[in-house]
Amino acid sequence: MQIAKSWRRQPANLRLEGTRCGDCGRLSFPAALRCSACGSTRAQEFRFCGRGEVLAVTVVYEAPRDFAEHVPYPAAIVRLEEGIDLPAMLTDIDPADAHPGLQVTMCTRRIAAQGDAGPIVYAYKFAPAGEC
Amino acid sequence: MTEQPINIRVAAAGRTRSAEEWELGLVDLAVLAGGEVLDAGGQPPDAIITANALGDALGDQRNLALHAADRLGLHGVETLCVSCDEASGGSAIRQAIALLLSGFHQRVLVIGAEKTSDALPDQLEAVRATGLDAAQEASFGFSPTVAAALGMGRYLEHHGLARELFYHPARIAHAHGAKNRLGIFAWPLTVEQYLKSPVVATPLTVCDNAPLCDGAAAVMLTREPGPGVHITGSASVCARRGISAPVVDLSLPAARESARAALARAGLTAADMACFELHDSSSFLAVLSMEAVGLAPEGRALLDAQQGAFDEGGQSVLWVGGGHKSRGHAPGAGGVFQLVEAALALQGRLDVRLSKKEHALVQCLGSFGALAVTHVLTVR
Repeated sequence: MQIAKSWRRQPANLRLEGTRCGDCGRLSFPAALRCSACGSTRAQEFRFCGRGEVLAVTVVYEAPRDFAEHVPYPAAIVRLEEGIDLPAMLTDIDPADAHPGLQVTMCTRRIAAQGDAGPIVYAYKFAPAGEC
Repeated sequence: MTEQPINIRVAAAGRTRSAEEWELGLVDLAVLAGGEVLDAGGQPPDAIITANALGDALGDQRNLALHAADRLGLHGVETLCVSCDEASGGSAIRQAIALLLSGFHQRVLVIGAEKTSDALPDQLEAVRATGLDAAQEASFGFSPTVAAALGMGRYLEHHGLARELFYHPARIAHAHGAKNRLGIFAWPLTVEQYLKSPVVATPLTVCDNAPLCDGAAAVMLTREPGPGVHITGSASVCARRGISAPVVDLSLPAARESARAALARAGLTAADMACFELHDSSSFLAVLSMEAVGLAPEGRALLDAQQGAFDEGGQSVLWVGGGHKSRGHAPGAGGVFQLVEAALALQGRLDVRLSKKEHALVQCLGSFGALAVTHVLTVR
């Protein structure tokens, strides 16, 4: 894990900041330097509200490296109110209770750490609405 | 613009077994497969293109084509490395076609090679995940396996199907792969074994995923006329990146368009194909691929598979050599393995019963379906 990379991703990971195209209005997450719809480079900062609905969910029992500490963890596709679909871990919920249709809210949680003495990355997860 | 016809002959083919090869490294595997092609005789290649997905990220030999060329004694040729995630094999073949059609070269050796067994499973999965969106998916604990699990659950719920139906893609792959002496899991799979397999990420179990392995496959491609198997159609198409699209929409637009374009280039339809080699790194992608290329209507792939529609002896046989599921999944090499097996099957050199149709469709996917490369083969 590289500190500079983690720092660069903070607006997206901690504040759900993306962009709205200044020409066609298309929303992008994370921030888009260039609008993939119209090609404009006139991007305006846009902060997503953090509320959404679970579209699909799985409980992970065998994780990629760096995520073993979370096993078993619910991993979901969350559709934000603004229409963006976002892969994200769910938190503050028994994995057995996670289901499509669950209303969720963004919160900030630990995602990964580099060993016992390395940097810790915090980023968004989603908790049941009202829990975060 | 009139498209130039494609008529590239597969002059020779070679492959290693798919296994955990403790005594062979990445370059060794490439040399073995490439060497088998050279030993088949004929003029040497003017160029070598390698296909590999994970080697750079695993800290293995970079610039693989150069090192393979040297070890094969081929100095003075052009070398090129292709890395397009799990679509590397198909993409390397396509680059070879471009070099041949352009007239730059007369014979191109394509070698797909992958070495996975030096890494532990969790590291492999983390490296595979960087073929997805590295910042917003891999960095959040998502991987191709997690994505396939999400998609599988959504597919079953959306179409109102029983979980047990996912046995059938694996059943077909193993039934055909049981006769592939070079495959890693060359045995039939019973429904009891399938239902007892451990859960990796709900509802996906070990038997819903192809086993990662070491392996290499190679083909010599040429414009020189002659009898045998020819590549008559080719197309590479990308769609929106990200796992959300295939999971939410339950479709693979890149696979659909790539198959359509490749078939159109060959002047054929899916009904003309004797066999299909589709991307079964997971049964979820296998099912969506089957529907994308026109083997089954949306939501019907598992039901048709259950009815035996894709078993050997039928009109549309799947995974003649066992697919990635039974033969084994060497990610960057998979597209070349697929082409080799389809070519051998069309020539009657694989122990699998096909119809008398003379064509095959081969498709590999990269970045969880965002990239699809399709080739059509014709035996003459």
